[in-house]
Amino acid sequence: MANLAESAARATPPSVARRVRGLSDRAIAWIFVAPTIFLLLAVNIFPLIWTIRLSFTNFRANRNREVEWVGLRNYERILTDSDIWLTMQATAHFLIWTIVFQVLIGFTLAWLINKNFRGNDFLTTMIVLPMMLSPAVVGNFWTFLYQPQIGLFNYIVSFFTGVDPSSFEMIGSVNLAPWAIVIVDTWMWTPFVMLICLAGLRSIPEYIYEAAEIDRASKWRQFWTITIPMVLPFLMLAVLFRGIENFKMFDLVVLLTGGGPGSTTELTSINLKREAFEKWRTGYASAYAIILFVTVFGLASIYVKALNKVKER
Amino acid sequence: MSEVVLSGVSKAFRKTVAVNDVSLTVPDGAFVVLLGPTGAGKTTTLRLISGLDAPDSGDILIGGRSVLGETPAQRNVAMVFQQYSLYPHMSVRENLAFPLRSPILKTPEAEITRKVGEIAEVLHIAHKLDNKATALSGGEMQRVSIGRALVRDPDIFLMDEPLSSLDAKLRADLRVELKRIQADLGATLLYVTHDQIEAMTMATHVGVLDEGRLVQFGPPREIYENPVSLYVAGRLGLPRINALPADLFPGAPGGAKTIGLRPEHLVQGDGRESRVVRVEHLGDQTRLHLTLDGHDIVTLTDVHSRLAPGDTVAIAPKNPLYFDASGTRIA
Repeated sequence: MANLAESAARATPPSVARRVRGLSDRAIAWIFVAPTIFLLLAVNIFPLIWTIRLSFTNFRANRNREVEWVGLRNYERILTDSDIWLTMQATAHFLIWTIVFQVLIGFTLAWLINKNFRGNDFLTTMIVLPMMLSPAVVGNFWTFLYQPQIGLFNYIVSFFTGVDPSSFEMIGSVNLAPWAIVIVDTWMWTPFVMLICLAGLRSIPEYIYEAAEIDRASKWRQFWTITIPMVLPFLMLAVLFRGIENFKMFDLVVLLTGGGPGSTTELTSINLKREAFEKWRTGYASAYAIILFVTVFGLASIYVKALNKVKER
Repeated sequence: MSEVVLSGVSKAFRKTVAVNDVSLTVPDGAFVVLLGPTGAGKTTTLRLISGLDAPDSGDILIGGRSVLGETPAQRNVAMVFQQYSLYPHMSVRENLAFPLRSPILKTPEAEITRKVGEIAEVLHIAHKLDNKATALSGGEMQRVSIGRALVRDPDIFLMDEPLSSLDAKLRADLRVELKRIQADLGATLLYVTHDQIEAMTMATHVGVLDEGRLVQFGPPREIYENPVSLYVAGRLGLPRINALPADLFPGAPGGAKTIGLRPEHLVQGDGRESRVVRVEHLGDQTRLHLTLDGHDIVTLTDVHSRLAPGDTVAIAPKNPLYFDASGTRIA
């Protein structure tokens, strides 16, 4: 050991060695960690604190005027604004239905793909393709698919139901637009849930099923007492990822509906962007952002606790 | 409990024949041990009986009825796997109760609690009942796995090297315990091992498998004293049988290629002079490593023997076993 340290000391250039000499191990460790900590403070912690500060003011980033301290008024206005509750509702609708569909379809696909059959690797690749596409591409070509006169989506619906294809507009109608974005997000992100479920299913060894078979458990009982509990931690993780992602959903929906018609698909992130960078109510938008952050953070924390409990079981 | 009969059962995986025309009767209440090295077809035989694999040809009867068309659940067999196969997301209690909760059985909850408690007591895992299955040591996992079979009342217990992963003391304890349980329940048990002590101490019948064929079947004593081939003779006995050229000692019958000498087949103090290479004092026995015309011989001697390396000992065969060139026993 001593030799190693000596030769290491000798390998250090004399100029550096002179400067470092006399510093404790702890000090040297801090020298290594400091740049990262500084960067973290500069790009994460400082903006967060600054946003909190701004949220108590009537600051507008496009005006050069005296900034007034308004206390909790921004928060009060946001929480009592019925329009904001509508966007919250739209977000909840989007969040819940995308998760429900993606979990159901994703798990079913994973379960089917997990069976051994010819070409299941190829099929997996095909299914996974949508999630590799850019949201910009997906948003644009689904706009075409949803086009009432020439769109494939309307044509297929009419093929199966007999409804006239140009009689409904997915994007233009107040009733259908919230479902239009749910469909596209499900199409794009179900493969992600499927992949995670597939990893879960593949982690269950075959011999567990053999033991269950010997223990006289029916396929149905094997599914509910072995497959589901053993995949559940994976599934919950997928839901967490999708939940957080979709709470922040912006690009896909902006490209598809732009928040319309009216504000039926105006999710909170779109609404927030309008407040901050179209209306330039910076203080107000800061408070809005803080509320959203606390909501996501709180929900995610509760959820992660539940997830850990499931894993421990 | 039931009698289990295999008749002409064969099973191949691709080109490898795992089980080759095996006919075997496991009598009701018997403790049958299948012996053989890795790849002899022991595990495959168990899987064929349990229904996890289907034979290519032949028939399997449990309690007189052919079970070829039945699922493992319908066959009512219990199996202990070599690799534990516990349900990792369940507690020990839930693992033990799992087979009893089968809708086929409709066991009342009080009965489940009683049985699980009883078995846990026998296998010394009562204090671990609420632990998660994965939070156990290897030995404990295997005991839970044995317990999961024992809570049931199957037609036959199939056990695939259940003790191989346990430490020596636990193995000895459980060996006695398993034998006792089997005798108490009057259970029919088919047990796979490559440990000859397990075979000799527990079995009512031993079957020796060689590359998928059942080469000899009978009581352990008979297999030991009357092996049909050099292969079978080599499966039982410690120290292992010494296989030497037949002409090393006078008196070999015609056609004999190999003479098989167990320690009890060697008389010391008479016959040919051999040199002592090593003396191993094991406590309850003393092993003698000898060399004769360049051939190594291992035998036993008096526990308090004063022999030392370099000494010479005269040895002569007494009622040895003779085998021909193919390894078949001829005398």
